[in-house]
Amino acid sequence: MVFSSVVFIFRFLPMFLICYFAVPGRMKNVILLLGSLIFYAWGEPVYVLLMLFSTFVHFALGRGIGAKRGRPAGRAYLAISVIINLLLLGFFKYADFLIQCVNMLFKTDIPLPGLGLPLGISFYTFQIMSYTIDVYRGDVRAQSNLLDFAVYVTMFPQLIAGPIVKYRQVEGELHNRTVNVPEISRGAKRFVIGLAKKVLIANNLGVLWEQTASMEYSRMSILTAWIGIIAFALQIYFDFSGYSDMAIGLGYIMGFKFPENFNYPYISASVSEFWRRWHISLGSWFREYVYIPLGGGRKGMGRQLFNIAVVWLLTGIWHGAGINFVIWGLWFALFLILEKLFLEKVLAALPKLAGCVYTWLVVILGWVFFSLDTPGQAVLYIKALFGLNGGDVFDSQALFLLGEYIVILVISALAATPLVKMLENKVKSKGSGYSVAVYRFCEKLFIPFLLIMSIAFIVEASYNPFLYFRF
Amino acid sequence: MSEKGNAFFTIGILSLILFIFITADFFNVDRVYSETEMRLLSEKPDYDWESMLSGEYAGEYEDYITDQFPGRDKLVKIKMRTDILSGRKEIDGVYIGEDGYLIEKHSPEAYTTELENEKLALLDGLVEEWNAKIMLVPTADNILSDKMPAYAQYYDEEAFLERVKERVGEHNYIDVYSVLSEHSDEEIYYRTDHHWTTLGAYYGYQAWTQGTSSFKFPYDIENMTTVSNDFQGTMYSKLPVVSTVDEIKIFPATAFREVSVMYDLEETTDTLYEDSYLQGKNQYGYFLDDNHAFTKIETDYHNGRTLFVIKDSYADSFIPLLQPHYETIYAVDLRYYNGLLFKLMDECEPRGGMDVLVLYNCAEFLESFEYY
Repeated sequence: MVFSSVVFIFRFLPMFLICYFAVPGRMKNVILLLGSLIFYAWGEPVYVLLMLFSTFVHFALGRGIGAKRGRPAGRAYLAISVIINLLLLGFFKYADFLIQCVNMLFKTDIPLPGLGLPLGISFYTFQIMSYTIDVYRGDVRAQSNLLDFAVYVTMFPQLIAGPIVKYRQVEGELHNRTVNVPEISRGAKRFVIGLAKKVLIANNLGVLWEQTASMEYSRMSILTAWIGIIAFALQIYFDFSGYSDMAIGLGYIMGFKFPENFNYPYISASVSEFWRRWHISLGSWFREYVYIPLGGGRKGMGRQLFNIAVVWLLTGIWHGAGINFVIWGLWFALFLILEKLFLEKVLAALPKLAGCVYTWLVVILGWVFFSLDTPGQAVLYIKALFGLNGGDVFDSQALFLLGEYIVILVISALAATPLVKMLENKVKSKGSGYSVAVYRFCEKLFIPFLLIMSIAFIVEASYNPFLYFRF
Repeated sequence: MSEKGNAFFTIGILSLILFIFITADFFNVDRVYSETEMRLLSEKPDYDWESMLSGEYAGEYEDYITDQFPGRDKLVKIKMRTDILSGRKEIDGVYIGEDGYLIEKHSPEAYTTELENEKLALLDGLVEEWNAKIMLVPTADNILSDKMPAYAQYYDEEAFLERVKERVGEHNYIDVYSVLSEHSDEEIYYRTDHHWTTLGAYYGYQAWTQGTSSFKFPYDIENMTTVSNDFQGTMYSKLPVVSTVDEIKIFPATAFREVSVMYDLEETTDTLYEDSYLQGKNQYGYFLDDNHAFTKIETDYHNGRTLFVIKDSYADSFIPLLQPHYETIYAVDLRYYNGLLFKLMDECEPRGGMDVLVLYNCAEFLESFEYY
């Protein structure tokens, strides 16, 4: 089930919340677990068994690790836990890709298993690993309550698109959490804002990107190419951060405080800053469980650069099984390494805007690889971005697209910066007066307005008139 | 309001919105058919384990509740109006033009040279064996250039028609493009429908008389009668948020003489114009009873001449104008006829015994012209 659907908003969520608030304290986890299983099984019933299997196995392994900590058996249990997670991920997510690579390299013809990717597997395997590793390290106690652990693994808000919540971040709340009215309200607002980011902005920009991506790159004008990729850059931000907002909002409603996942990434003045602001929960996961264990920056420059390369190679692959994701990850590794070597110092001496422009360029060129299927297509598209395809600077097509989407592009670009938040704080800090009154009034109506608009946009997506001249 | 009061207010109003929709949905009787969308809406799917396990049920249920969502038509319009407000001039393949024109978009990428070649090759047999005249009508986006939004893209039908002319030869090509271009400031296309108007068809007729060196029946533009003034066609259906309406007109002379029309070798009627359609949504169906695979028309002009038209719906408002020229007119719509075309033609008249006309709009020709 996806959040931005009629089924979720008008069937699942109201029924779930009524049950959730109707039952007393400890029963809430039962409802949350059942709700999460229904949420997951809707549309994907078979793989729910896989998730339950993981839950049981790693619960048991967690107990074992906790009991045998510091002894070889504890180490072995951890190894088993990590291997099972990686095998599952490898099998369902990367089998096709790996076999394709083997077939290509050795000219073999091994058939592809063609398994569908189980929903959310990249997220819940990472969450489970954060648990078993932390138990092994002694950072958290092994969970003794299967229900609480099952809730942690299966919890629907962040199950399918993050944020990746580390076990210790919610350890206390899993067992005992309080909710109060201001937090529910805050969560509800956050959910609606996330929904609007996804439905009102991201989906619209997605149409523009799809239109551009399906054009002939060899004849595309420079302006068209830039409009398209900027639309994608904004689309993926609003899509992904909107989803995180919805997850965090739902968490608040139930008394969970999930970590933030995005912090205005497009105002970053360096690539390393970008990765501290983009998909924060993934970055921090890799940092904590890969980069630092590999030695981080403590074993000399050479080793650090190697570690950076490994982490971003993995980050790339985590996003999808495909050569373009590998390139995408390594592309960032390259600039992170350059920044470590000398670029950081250069950027520090330049005005901030120069750093921003450089970061935008790196990120946007990265998105070309991220969004297109093959390296060949990406190279053609990059040529179009710089006019190397012999295309014009602009043509009537570019002007038409610009006219069609300039309003939404400008609105979304502004919404991707902290500008609105700054204005809001400024008005709030005044405390009284005309502008505060207007602000209070708008604030009250804005969220309901966004909800109704989002509903309209969701419903319209299925508008499909039958035109008699087409049979 | 206090912080807490604010919080209650937000929770209250959001819950209220959900509550209103859910209650409305609960009391809402499922619609079988949507008048706006002209299609059957999804029904409640049947529940069984197999469809549950495959996830099929989930998809069908989602379609069902979205199709039956209370206030669906209004919500759809809210989205479209928002798009228009944000400056969009093209929504779902419809250009919002000047003077209330909704113009169907034919994007250049959709019509490749390979597609052109494939369809052109299909004309060869008709031209060589039947001496068919080829009459392809440009669509509104090509002719109404000054009504189109600035910089809007469209497939260049003029260039394609040059290729058609070259392929079939000047003698077999009827040049509608030039005539319509000359009259592009007149009401030759509907504002809310993708068809040409009866006036457009009349200029097509003019081109036909020139191309076939026929006499020209003196139809009088000044004396056209209006049969409907509340027509909102296919383009309106795609974008039902404009207030424009169209008139449907005919030349009285085309309804004056006796005629016998047989559809699909079954129903016979005595008119080319079916009034019943003017009460409904599909008003263009007024001409030749909407779409039929095979139509046979016998006119009151007993000159012994026969015409065989291979056509799409553009021909429906055009064929009535041909009455004075033919005693018998056969029309086949290949989108509905699956038999062998040349066999059907032979059954109507042996080769050389009748005139043959291929009449399509350019886009429809490229999209659907095909025969066995």
